[in-house]
Amino acid sequence: MIFLKWFLTKSWRHAIAWAVCFFALFPLYMIVLTSFKKTTSLQVGSFLPTGFSLTNFNSLLTNPTVPFYTWMSNSVIIAAFVSVVSVFIGAASAFAFSRLRFRGKKASIQLLLLIQMFPAVLALSAVYSIMDRVHAFAPSIGLGTIGGLVLVYLGGAMGVNIWLLKGFVDSIPIELDEAARVDGASPMQIYWRIFLPLASPVLAVVCLLSFIGTFNEYILASLFLNDPSQQTIAVGLHGFISGQFATNWGPFAAGSLLASLPIVVLFLSLQKYIVNGLTAGAVKG
Amino acid sequence: MRLLKGIKIAVILKIVLVTIALAVLGFLMQAALLAGDTQIGIFFGIAIFLIALVYFTRISIPLKFFLPGVLLLATFVITPVVYTISMSAYQYKTGNILSKPEALKMLKSNDAFAQVPDEKKFDLKLGWCDEKYGDPKDVANAPVCALVSYYPDNIYFLSTATTLTPLTRDRIIFNKVGLPADVTKVGAKFTWEPFYEDEYATFDKTIASTRFKYSKPGTFMQAEGYSVMAVYAQRIVYDAKADTFTDIKTGFVYKDNGRGNYANTKNGKDVMYPGWREVVWFENFVNLVNDPSVRDPLVAVFIWTCIFAVTTVVTQFALGLLIALTLHTKMRGRWIYRSIIILPYAMPSIMSIMIWGGMLNTDFGAVNNLIGLIVGHPVHLTWLTDPTLARTSVLLVNLWLGFPYFYLISTGALQAIPAELTEAAAIDGASGGQTFRKITLPLLMQMLSPLLISSFAFNFNNFNLIYLLTGGGPKDTLSGQSAGATDILISYTYNLAFNKGTQNFGLASAVSIVIFVAVAAISLYGIRRSKVLESFV
Repeated sequence: MIFLKWFLTKSWRHAIAWAVCFFALFPLYMIVLTSFKKTTSLQVGSFLPTGFSLTNFNSLLTNPTVPFYTWMSNSVIIAAFVSVVSVFIGAASAFAFSRLRFRGKKASIQLLLLIQMFPAVLALSAVYSIMDRVHAFAPSIGLGTIGGLVLVYLGGAMGVNIWLLKGFVDSIPIELDEAARVDGASPMQIYWRIFLPLASPVLAVVCLLSFIGTFNEYILASLFLNDPSQQTIAVGLHGFISGQFATNWGPFAAGSLLASLPIVVLFLSLQKYIVNGLTAGAVKG
Repeated sequence: MRLLKGIKIAVILKIVLVTIALAVLGFLMQAALLAGDTQIGIFFGIAIFLIALVYFTRISIPLKFFLPGVLLLATFVITPVVYTISMSAYQYKTGNILSKPEALKMLKSNDAFAQVPDEKKFDLKLGWCDEKYGDPKDVANAPVCALVSYYPDNIYFLSTATTLTPLTRDRIIFNKVGLPADVTKVGAKFTWEPFYEDEYATFDKTIASTRFKYSKPGTFMQAEGYSVMAVYAQRIVYDAKADTFTDIKTGFVYKDNGRGNYANTKNGKDVMYPGWREVVWFENFVNLVNDPSVRDPLVAVFIWTCIFAVTTVVTQFALGLLIALTLHTKMRGRWIYRSIIILPYAMPSIMSIMIWGGMLNTDFGAVNNLIGLIVGHPVHLTWLTDPTLARTSVLLVNLWLGFPYFYLISTGALQAIPAELTEAAAIDGASGGQTFRKITLPLLMQMLSPLLISSFAFNFNNFNLIYLLTGGGPKDTLSGQSAGATDILISYTYNLAFNKGTQNFGLASAVSIVIFVAVAAISLYGIRRSKVLESFV
C-alpha cells in the first residue's frame, strides 16, 4: 500500500529526474570517457568504455608544442585579474549610483545601460586598430599581449553585474550610512569601512561569475593573442579540433576536463550564494 | 595646515597609488608622443589631468568612484562604438579601405602605366656607365646603366633613367651563349662596367624602381628580373586640376564619383581600383532596405534570430520549470538530482559547446551512435550540415546549456511564493492544475519576466554558441548565399566585417546599429517592466 502511494505520487518525479539527469550527464560522460581512452581518439564517438589509460593526458601534458600549463595559467591570471578589478570598479560605481547625490545621475545610468547593449563583437575592428596603435609605442600593453587583452576586457568593467551590486547596496540599511555620516565619516570612509566589508560575500560571488565569464571568452582572445605561449586555454584547446585535417578529440577532452574541473568544483561549492546572485539578475557567460 | 591635518595611512596610500598611476600614464603619454601618435598622447594627457583633478581636489566626490571605470569605458567601449557608428556612413569595404591620398598614390604608380603589348622584349645586362653619367665609385648616387640589346635586329644601346646611348655591334663583347656581356673600351677610357654578382642583390630596389629611357616618346623601359627589359607606356593620365584620370587609348575620362572611386563618366559602373573610403551617409542603411542581395539574407537572418532567441528562452524555461516543479517536494535523492542537473551550468560553456560539436559529428558522433543503438541500426544524421538539423542542433545544445539556470531561478521563485496562497486555493476547492495556472504561474511570470527578457537579449547576441558550433553554417556558398542557415544577426555581421574574402565594414556597421537598436529596445522594455530603473534614481 505504501509502495503504491509512493508509486503514484513520487515515481513520476523520479522518472523525470532520471531522464533529465541523463540528458545533463551525457556530454559530460563523453568528455570523461574520451579523455581516458586508450588511443588518442579522433572523434567523440563510441560511448562504451574500452579500457582505461592516461595516453591523452600524457600527450597533452608532455607534448612540447602544447604549452598546456601556460595556457591554463594565462587563462587563470587573465580571468582573476579581470574579475577582481572589474568587481572593484563595478562596486564603486554601484555604490555611487546608489548612495550619492549628483546631477545627471539618471542620464548617466541610462547612458551606461545603453552603451552596454552595443554588441561588443562588432566593435572589434575598432578595438583592434586602437590596440595596434598602442602596440607601436608600448609593446607590453598593445595588440598581441595579455596586458592589452586585460585592458580591453576591463572596458566593460563599470557595467559588470551592476544590477546585482546595486540591488545589494540598496539592501544595506541606509541608517548605517547615516549613523556613520553623523559620526563624521566621509563618503570614502563609508565606502571602505562600511560598504565593502558588508558586501564582501556578494562581491565574491560576482567575482566568481565574472571569472567564469572571462574564462569563457573566445573571440577577442583568439583575435588578440597569436603567439601560442600567450594564448588562453579556450583558444589553445580549440586548436585541437579546428584543424582542417586533424582533429584530436582525445587530448581536447582531457584538456577541457582538466580546465573545467576547478571551475565546476568552485561553482558547486558556492552554489548557494551563486543562486542568490542569479535570482537577483547576475549574468554568467 | 588643513593639508596635513587629515593625514592617515589611507591618505598616504591614496597619494602613493594616484602618483604611481600618474607616473605610468605620463610615461605612456611621452612614449606615444615620441612615436608620433598625438591623438593617443592627448588622450593620456586628458586622463592624467582628470585623475589629478579628481583625486587631489574635492571637485566631485561621485567622480572619485566613477573615474577608473569611466576612463576604461571611454577607451575600450565608447570610442570603438562611436567609430563603428561613424563607419556606417562610409563606403568602407574591400577595394575601398585606403584614404583618398593613399589610393591616388597607388593609382598613379601602379595603374597609370602598362606594358606595350606589341613592343619587343630586350635582353638586359645591368652595370654602371662611365664618368659622363656619374662616378662609379660613388655607388649611392651612381645611376644604374643597362646594356640593352635585341640581337636579331642588331640593336644595342646603353640606357639610364635620363640618357640613351646607341652602340654599334663591334663594341659589344659576347659571352659563350651569344648574349652581350660587356662593352669594349675606347682607348683607356672607361665606358661601361657590368655588375658584380653581389651588386644585383645590393641594388635590387634601385633596379626595380628605375624607369630606363627608351627611344619612343611617352614610353620607358623597366627591368623584368635581371635579364629582360620590357617597354612600358603611359595608360592613363592624371589631371591634378580637374582631379580626373584619362585613359589615353580609349579616351574615357574617370572622375571622382563622390562614393570612393574614380568612375567612367560615360559608364558609372566602370570604376578604377583601389578606391578609398568615402562618406555616403545613409546609403548603407538604404541598401539594407532596397538592395535585394543585402536585404533578403538580412531579413532571413533576422527572422531566424528571433525564432532562435524565443525558442531558446521558451524551451530552457519550460524544461527548467518542469524540473523545478518536479523536485519541489520532499523526495529521496533530491540533492543528488539537483547537483547533477546544475552540472551543465557549472561547466565552462565554451568547453561544452566544443564537445557538443564533436558529439554531433555525422559519421563518428556519439549522438548518432546513441540513436543507432536505440533504433537498432546505424544512422547518419547530418546534424551540422543539413539546414534544418543544424538549427535543431543549435537549439538542442543551447537547451542543454541553459535549462539549469532556469531550473535554479524557478526553484528560487517557487520557494518565494507564500504557501498560504496555494493552501487557500486548495481550501476553496481548486485542483492542482487550477492552482498552478491561476496562482503559481502568474506569480512566477511576474517575478521572472525581467530575467526572461534579459535571457532573450543575451541569446539574441549569443555569438559563442553559433560561432563555435556551426560557424553560422551550413552555407551554400556556390549559389552565392551570404548567410548560413544558423547565422544569427551577430555572427552574420561578424562575417560581413571579418570574412576572409570580401569585407564590408560599412554595411557591417550599419547592421550593428540595427542590432543595437533592437536589443536596446527589448532590454529597455524589460527594464521598464522590472522597474529597476526607478529604484536607481
